[in-house]
Amino acid sequence: MKKVFGFLSVLMIVSMLLVACGGKPAAPKVLKVWIQWGDNPQQIQALFDKYTAESGIKVEVTAPLEVDKILPALTGSEPPDVLILSGGDLVKSYYKEGLVDELGGAIKAGNIDMNDFFPAPLDQCKSGDKILCLPWGSDMYALFWNKDLFEAAGLDPEVPPATMEQLAEFSDKLTKVAADGSTIEQIGFIPDQAWGHSELYMQQYGGFWYNEDGTKITANTQPVIDAMKWEQQFYTKYGVDNVLAFSSGWADAYMSADYPFYTGKLAMYVDGEWMTGPNFISQFKPEASYGVAPFPPLAAHPERANTAVASGTVAVIPSGAANKDASAKLLAWMMSPAIVAEEFCFNANLPTSKKAAEDPCFTSNPKFKVFMDLMKNPNAKVVITTPISLEFNDAWTLMEEKVLHTGADPKPLLDQLQADFEPKLADALK
Amino acid sequence: MDKQQTKKSKFTWPPKFDKWGFRDRTNFKIGMLFLLPWSIGFLAFTLYPMLASLVYSFSIYHARQPLEFIGFKNYTDLFSDSLFWTALYNTIYMVAIGVPLALFSSFFCAVLLNLKVRGQAFYRVIYFLPSIVPTVASTILWLWILNPQAGIMNTLLGYLGIHGPNWMTNPAWSKPGLILLGMWGMGNTIIIYLSGLQDVSVSLLEAAELDGANWWQRLWNITIPMVSPITLFNLITGVIAMFQYFAQAYVFRGFQNLGYPLNSTLFYSVLLYQNAFQWLKMGYASAMAWVLFIIILGCTLLLLKISDRFTYYAG
Repeated sequence: MKKVFGFLSVLMIVSMLLVACGGKPAAPKVLKVWIQWGDNPQQIQALFDKYTAESGIKVEVTAPLEVDKILPALTGSEPPDVLILSGGDLVKSYYKEGLVDELGGAIKAGNIDMNDFFPAPLDQCKSGDKILCLPWGSDMYALFWNKDLFEAAGLDPEVPPATMEQLAEFSDKLTKVAADGSTIEQIGFIPDQAWGHSELYMQQYGGFWYNEDGTKITANTQPVIDAMKWEQQFYTKYGVDNVLAFSSGWADAYMSADYPFYTGKLAMYVDGEWMTGPNFISQFKPEASYGVAPFPPLAAHPERANTAVASGTVAVIPSGAANKDASAKLLAWMMSPAIVAEEFCFNANLPTSKKAAEDPCFTSNPKFKVFMDLMKNPNAKVVITTPISLEFNDAWTLMEEKVLHTGADPKPLLDQLQADFEPKLADALK
Repeated sequence: MDKQQTKKSKFTWPPKFDKWGFRDRTNFKIGMLFLLPWSIGFLAFTLYPMLASLVYSFSIYHARQPLEFIGFKNYTDLFSDSLFWTALYNTIYMVAIGVPLALFSSFFCAVLLNLKVRGQAFYRVIYFLPSIVPTVASTILWLWILNPQAGIMNTLLGYLGIHGPNWMTNPAWSKPGLILLGMWGMGNTIIIYLSGLQDVSVSLLEAAELDGANWWQRLWNITIPMVSPITLFNLITGVIAMFQYFAQAYVFRGFQNLGYPLNSTLFYSVLLYQNAFQWLKMGYASAMAWVLFIIILGCTLLLLKISDRFTYYAG
């Protein structure tokens, strides 16, 4: 019995050693693609199965991912061959930590046409003259308005506000308060509906929280302060607590028929292009009568009309990827116009490839076309990123919450933010 | 029992293997084999990560580059980080208010569930049911219960003429909301109390009854002292769990950022998670973890020390 046990253990150890020493085959049989978002993992797998059909290399898609899974994967011994992130926020942090590759070589190897990218989404991937990621799909935001509520308030249902000042006037007309003077029954505009849109408002005021190349924090400059004050009025003039009581839980109803824009509680708000696709309004409230228009500029700055901010999906190659050539080829395939068109037509997101944007599916829906035109417009802007983007964004969100949801004066809060993050950015850029 | 203890054992420390017989050695080897899986797991997945995090806590952690040692800087930075103090305050709030409330109400429920009434089993099931709902699901459920517009809680409060608060958007009410959620799902604590209550000696209770003690006197003078070891156990496990509070807070913010509203649900573990995985400050997060470890250790030792005064061990 003892001998049998000993023999079996030796056999097991030997076989384990044999497996471990097996060495990797020269050409990869399987490539791993990880995607942070993933409303529909089967669809993405089906898309990458086409690559398998073309190249004979199997692609395994893992989606969706929480951010805490990505770091161990990038630092581990078997990172994905291509990683697709929901936004560019983390790319510079990852690059600084040596977790993702600079893509110059992959772009050359995969013969990727850099002129085919729309400039705004590509900008979030640039760090000096280096390209750290490639944008795969993009989001832009515009103004949505409920035509029925416009009509009921005596406004022309076909004409959205032309300026930010007019938007505030319209909002007053579209807000209904009950006889008790505090219970809101319908509201004209919520500036941070579902999530914050300060980037858009700040660009209309001509500023942002970083300077153009992301080397300095400019959080307490005048355009930023003015934009925060403009946003704040929609809370303070109707009563912060009243608005919060009315809008509480709205964000969680985002993908349901209870969403306030569908139920006629909210007349105007800012949202992205996917809303006009098949999975949102046309699913939850197909009969909704609504319009979409570029967010209006300030009366004093009509030249900033058609300004929108691009953000969204980017692809990176982890520095630990086993076969960089194979990763580069897969990345090039992903970026080819036909694949970009197919994926983002399906998801109703904006394509980042100019050639893909020619596809009629992006222009046939006039509401979606509003966003497509914003992407093509020279006023299209990028969300500037830095190696401390995520930490800064969290602090920004807290500041924004204090300004909007407590009515605090933005200036001292922005001064504090500036003071806190100036040294952090300088340190991170060393 | 006594006989065995007084008999001089051949198993001394350090062990003298040469004095062992064949059977003892075989038993020792087999015993070690049985211990091996746990030992490997403990060494590889508990002790090593703990020691590694101790080393990381004195450094700036780089995933693919060598560590940069910075001495105690992570710890000193921690104490000047306003988010750290916010998170610590929020966590201590939950420990100081949530744990005693949960203990009190679960003891109360257990006493009620121990009454010999018709349908006792049914009531016990009702009170235990919430504990088998997964944390994420129950938190989402409570997001709806506490919804100020459509939620059942404010509707019920409305019937009583109370204008319910904005549970999820008002920073003063978000933690009480989470405490309510915790109290709803404390079936496990109730079960432990219930088993303790059934261990309370019937003869003591009967003797007291014969002496003329009323229900309240029996509860106060006999039942509560008799279950005090259970209270201590529930208190310590409750405090430890509350210091590590994470999942409910992670889900409760809904679509909002972590800590929403206004960082009132930014608990210690939530900030630790943010630092580690979102802001990639693993060294700093490791320092946070060690500070939390010391806080929990301190609290547990303190509770054990002062427990002498209120804990009664029968037998």
